[in-house]
Amino acid sequence: MPRLGEDGAPPALPIGTLMVGALALLAGALALLLNAGALTGPINSPTMVALVHTFTLGYVGLIFAGTLQQLPAVMFVTKLAWPWLGYVTTPALLSGSAAVVIGFASGFHPTWLQVGAVVTSLGWALLLAQLLATALRRPPKDAGSQALILAVLFLTFTVVAGFLLASARTTPAVAQVVGYPVRLHLSLGIFGAFLLGIVGSGQKLLSMFALSKGGAQWRVRAAMLLITAALVVESVEAIARVPLGSLALLLLAGGSLMQLLEVAAIYRRRLRKKLEAPIRRYVLAHAFMPLAGLLVLLDQPTAAAAAFLVGFVGLAVSGMLVKISSFLVWTAVFANARSGGVSGGAPLLRDLMRDELEPLTTWALAGGALALCATFMTGQPLLATTSAALLLLGAASQVAQVVHVVGITVLAGRRLGRAAAPVPTPAVSAEEAP
Amino acid sequence: MTETTLTEIVPALPARNVLESLRAVIDPELGLDIVSLGMVYVVTVAGGSVNIEMTLTTPGCPLHASIEADVKHVLGQVPGVDDVSVELVWDPPWTPDAMSDSAKSALGFW
Repeated sequence: MPRLGEDGAPPALPIGTLMVGALALLAGALALLLNAGALTGPINSPTMVALVHTFTLGYVGLIFAGTLQQLPAVMFVTKLAWPWLGYVTTPALLSGSAAVVIGFASGFHPTWLQVGAVVTSLGWALLLAQLLATALRRPPKDAGSQALILAVLFLTFTVVAGFLLASARTTPAVAQVVGYPVRLHLSLGIFGAFLLGIVGSGQKLLSMFALSKGGAQWRVRAAMLLITAALVVESVEAIARVPLGSLALLLLAGGSLMQLLEVAAIYRRRLRKKLEAPIRRYVLAHAFMPLAGLLVLLDQPTAAAAAFLVGFVGLAVSGMLVKISSFLVWTAVFANARSGGVSGGAPLLRDLMRDELEPLTTWALAGGALALCATFMTGQPLLATTSAALLLLGAASQVAQVVHVVGITVLAGRRLGRAAAPVPTPAVSAEEAP
Repeated sequence: MTETTLTEIVPALPARNVLESLRAVIDPELGLDIVSLGMVYVVTVAGGSVNIEMTLTTPGCPLHASIEADVKHVLGQVPGVDDVSVELVWDPPWTPDAMSDSAKSALGFW
């Protein structure tokens, strides 16, 4: 049986990585507020591309990476291979992502971009190797675990495709061979990595937190198949330059529909009628999927991408971030406490959170994502500023929650530790004392 | 509701008492005790040694180490208990039917 902090990575690694990911969203939202005008300009401007990569590599990527330091041990029910590897991968992903963002922000600076892309690719390749080595210890048979592995594979492909894109900008020979496959890079990241990552981890985690038996392996397998097929179609289109019409889009819509049906089934058949606020946020995130589909039908691709990425992925990741953080910190502090668990005075997991922050995070992030979609549809500067301000508020509330969860748990652990500590034996006995 | 098997070999204390003591062990995620949740399958008492066969709501539950430690902590305080071992089992798997009526009610299961 896996034990957090024993069979997974040292707890400080995932907790630290998750916190840095939450801070990346805060930094990105602040930068967005300071550059809100970029939202009404060209979508491929240096500022916009830098902001998108702060969100994808910094926020989603780092939280995904932090989760991978513990979740595989739980999902595969085995020990994490090379549990120290996070000491290499987390700094690599953090520095590589920062270099990529700096490269974009400074007007597509080739050196920053290439160095950043190489370091980030290396970090994800190592995480993929760690995940595969863990899977080899006890090959997972469930579809959720397999989807998680596939998602990390696609994420590694995404950053490698990013490296090729950066190289194609400066090296004509590379551009001749690979072209400039931005669309493939986007699809690999948004659908292959993020959607499949949420499909895989979500099935296990949502079922666990909602006490639900509603999940079905076939739906997850169908989602994997449809998304993979879509990415193959897009690869053929990008590399062989064979136009295949809307086939990839239809397949991606099918994969997304499977996830919607899966979450709906888990939610409907849950035992815990009142879900905790972060889990409700995770479920609510899925409302942005049909919205993204509607925006595609209305020929609003940028708004659709914003709905999917910031609305669906952003909220889903946010919900799981808070929930996973509380689990990780609680377990790290109390799993082997001499005083026992709750019977010895440890708090319940639900008591670690500041309740008032949760609706603030949910509605600020959701409102910010909606305003972002509206900005891309209308080009209104006021909507751009509103969106940036709401996202900043949500990101700040989320950081405050995570810091609170970590702080209150550590303090409670110290308090219990002091209470359970044996009375020290005096170095000098009463008779010997003068 | 789970019918816990109670076995006493050269009993120093009734297995029923051991089971009742386990009501002090609370699942930190659900906030309910493990007996009401139907997680305790077998309690075996042999002299001062107690063996608990129990399960969790899902295999790979990240809280298993803390719940296991809590079981040992709680039973370690019961007079007459010298040694506690805990065995996590997955067969039969935990189902909602294992919960007591009060646990179902607390989770809003009705």
